[in-house]
Amino acid sequence: MILAAECDVANEVICVPENVSDLFEFPTIFTIGQFEISRTEILMFLAAFIVVAILYFGLRQQRLVPTKFGASVEGLLGFVRDDVGRDVIGSESRKYLPYLTAMFFFLLVGNLFEVTPLINFPITSRMAIPFFLALVTYFIFMIVGFSKNKFRFLIDTAWPKTVPVGLRPLVGLIELVSVFFLRPLTLAVRLFANMMAGHLMLTLLLGSAVIFLAAIPEIGARGLIGLPWLAFGMFIFLFEIVVSVLQAYIFTLLTAVYIESSIHFEH
Amino acid sequence: MEGNIEALSGALALIGYGLGAIGPGIGIGIVAGNAITAMARQPEMQGTIRTTMFLGIAFTEALALIGFVLFFIA
Repeated sequence: MILAAECDVANEVICVPENVSDLFEFPTIFTIGQFEISRTEILMFLAAFIVVAILYFGLRQQRLVPTKFGASVEGLLGFVRDDVGRDVIGSESRKYLPYLTAMFFFLLVGNLFEVTPLINFPITSRMAIPFFLALVTYFIFMIVGFSKNKFRFLIDTAWPKTVPVGLRPLVGLIELVSVFFLRPLTLAVRLFANMMAGHLMLTLLLGSAVIFLAAIPEIGARGLIGLPWLAFGMFIFLFEIVVSVLQAYIFTLLTAVYIESSIHFEH
Repeated sequence: MEGNIEALSGALALIGYGLGAIGPGIGIGIVAGNAITAMARQPEMQGTIRTTMFLGIAFTEALALIGFVLFFIA
């Protein structure tokens, strides 16, 4: 427990770490060349491995009546294909489906690490991972936009034809900044901030609960402060499961929306 | 003096985040409320409406989340 050493149970009401980054930065375990491998990187590879394993074992055999596990994997795949791909992108969605599927499953596993016992750390709460994924999305929809619409993509964004002439510079500037700069940023920050907030709340509440309840022999009835923290922490725990799934879905959905807006640029 | 400013900046960040959360709070309320109205009127359109609702919430929420991150950075 990170908090245990520095918590003053006799005077404080809740245990707060000295520095927030203590909860998110892990010491280097070993180094390969210039790469310092810490717990976060190991969890990242574990997440990728779990995704591959789920897809391999879920879809290994095509059965007439799939097993329960196979049916759930097929359900998730169908969800990405129909609700995200087909409904948003439309007829061209097949081309982008592998990316969307990989993204959705990786984020789902990575986010659910937050509430997995013994792991308890969402890898997406480190900005590097959501930002890298958002950059990949950014390059995909930029390349699609420029290859489908040539330079009209840039010119029509900066000088929108559908807006009255007087407003065009203003709307064009807003659109330009929004499409070319803010999109990847908000995409990454949304996921990162949600997962960071969730991890922070869970660690503070459940950590305080454990520390206070464990200190009952020393400080007596005062340790019962831990009970409301435990109750609130359990409620947030359930809430975080929903948030994890929802954020994976929203990231995939927004990726699809951005790609769609690059393909059908006219409106 | 140094300590005072240090203490103040934390409190200011807290107030700033509180102010920043007002707008998105109202916005998400409007989005979700209208989505419920639409679903009640046309239950057969539920899937489309839900997707659009999450999209709207995601766009509205971004401002509040940026405020939240700034609160920790400050």
